[in-house]
Amino acid sequence: MPSKETNVQENSKESSSEMEIDSCTLKAMISSPSEKIHLRPMTLSDIDDFMVWATDVNVTRFCTWEPYTSREAGIAFINNFVLPHPWLRAICLDDDYAIGSISVTPVDSIRGEIGYVIGSKYWGKGIATEAVRLVAAEIFKEMPEMERLEALVDVDNVGSQKVLEKVGFVREGVMRKFMCLKGNVRDMVMFSFLPSDSLL
Amino acid sequence: MEIDLSRVSIRPFSLTDAHDFLRWAGDVRVTGNLRWQTFTSEEEALVFIRDVCLPHPWRRSICIDDRSIGFISVFSESGDDRFKAHIGYGLSHEYWGKGIATRAVSIAVTQVFNDLPHVLRLQAFVQTQNKASQRVLEKIGFKREGLLRKYSCIKGIIHDVFVYSLLSTDLLPLP
Repeated sequence: MPSKETNVQENSKESSSEMEIDSCTLKAMISSPSEKIHLRPMTLSDIDDFMVWATDVNVTRFCTWEPYTSREAGIAFINNFVLPHPWLRAICLDDDYAIGSISVTPVDSIRGEIGYVIGSKYWGKGIATEAVRLVAAEIFKEMPEMERLEALVDVDNVGSQKVLEKVGFVREGVMRKFMCLKGNVRDMVMFSFLPSDSLL
Repeated sequence: MEIDLSRVSIRPFSLTDAHDFLRWAGDVRVTGNLRWQTFTSEEEALVFIRDVCLPHPWRRSICIDDRSIGFISVFSESGDDRFKAHIGYGLSHEYWGKGIATRAVSIAVTQVFNDLPHVLRLQAFVQTQNKASQRVLEKIGFKREGLLRKYSCIKGIIHDVFVYSLLSTDLLPLP
């Protein structure tokens, strides 16, 4: 039976969503993310960085959209979706280049849904966890009418489920045949974070 | 008072239901949990039946001896989500606790999967304190998937709800 250390070394190059390591090891790895991140509004000048993650089939695996194939389509997406969005931020490292994005979209008068996407080169470093934590810490002040922040994660997207659990989201249950992803109806795990919840 | 459940049926609404409609839809014990207003006149009931119930894609009156004592509504979401449909129901207070809602919703569920073949998932959101309604769904074979915190805002009050689902592929328990 391979030791835990062997598992970590073998898996360290893979995406966090494919790791099979126990939660203690995972916590130790990402309790201090190797890179500091900040969030800022996303603009058209992020187009080339956007294309890095948006063209990557590993990144879009659990997204409802297919990988982008043209810069024009990427520019249209930024103009038509990103710029008018009520709350969307680029996730950036110290050099301020965007390596992903995170958004909170109102579902109704009291609920918002969080979504995030990170370039696969940056997986496994605790970046998504830190980005979600930053949002969960601030969003209720910025959207005071929101009573519930929720997330829906594909049952197979274990990496993203771990991100939310590490931040302190509550796993509420599996909603069967809940979302259509690229023509397939998928079971989705529902998570929520309330203003009264504590960040981990 | 035991009710012979063979007297329970479901059918589309008609304008002639307005008087009976008001008896249960004018009762806040029935409408309090719902997004429905509490009706105050037969005129209001008539307009609502004509403008909302009759054109509705799938709404039925729960009847005893063909007289309206409640409703069941199913509505699919739109676009890519049309495989999901929400079910809601309400029953006249005097008929609570007799297995009528269970019988009526059970009939409805079989009809819905036939009438709306694109529907793969029927879902219901029930307030945590509404134990009677939870029992209705469980007896029919809905699965409780989880507790959704601060999920529903109804008439200005925010509620935790249990989410239940029944899939077209689920086996229904024998009656």
